[in-house]
Amino acid sequence: MLLHILNRSPLDSRVPEQALISMGPDDRLLLIEDGVQGALPALAVHFDGLEGRLFALREDLASRGLLSRCDKRVRLVDVADFVTLTEEAERTVSWY
Amino acid sequence: MRYAILLLGAPYSHQAAHSALRFTRALVERGHEVAGVFFYHDGVQNAARLAAPPQDEPHLVDGWTALHAEHGVPLQVCIAAALRRGLLDEREASRHGKSGHSVAPPFELTGLGQLVDLGLRCDRLVAFGP
Repeated sequence: MLLHILNRSPLDSRVPEQALISMGPDDRLLLIEDGVQGALPALAVHFDGLEGRLFALREDLASRGLLSRCDKRVRLVDVADFVTLTEEAERTVSWY
Repeated sequence: MRYAILLLGAPYSHQAAHSALRFTRALVERGHEVAGVFFYHDGVQNAARLAAPPQDEPHLVDGWTALHAEHGVPLQVCIAAALRRGLLDEREASRHGKSGHSVAPPFELTGLGQLVDLGLRCDRLVAFGP
């Protein structure tokens, strides 16, 4: 299982698409930085099929004022959980 | 576990440097070993000795320096990426006939082979891009 780390929003880049087509069936996706826009209900549809495997970094949502707008399908994690996600994954792949 | 960090983003242009520093601090707090932070591409700008951001903003260069002072984390800067961006330590400045230097310890100019070595030696290599 790989952890994919994405820092781009589905609205301004096709990098999220690249990440998605590269993901294996058990891989996880963590949204960080501007990537957390993908956790908004209107944009989380881009990540359909990742239920339970889609995460967003709480600190980056909060710094953008989006914490209360996060889609229910997205699992919120803090930086300590980010560390845990990297521990649990075999490797990490960063998309930017 | 043993970790390495690859930082490719310049400070104050992208969030990458903030993210990398925050994540590295969290690694240390968890008790992991951080075998090195490798600064590459525009990430080498994090080693700019003369950086003087406003006092009410995070000082990233000082942040990395403090991480080294507190936990001995090696700060390795790609020499080829640094030199072409005007980031030279005393030795390189002298070699190229420059009157000042812009990189100082604990940042060390090093080759790309060090990144390969980190990748081989570490359990995890986490990259932060622009």
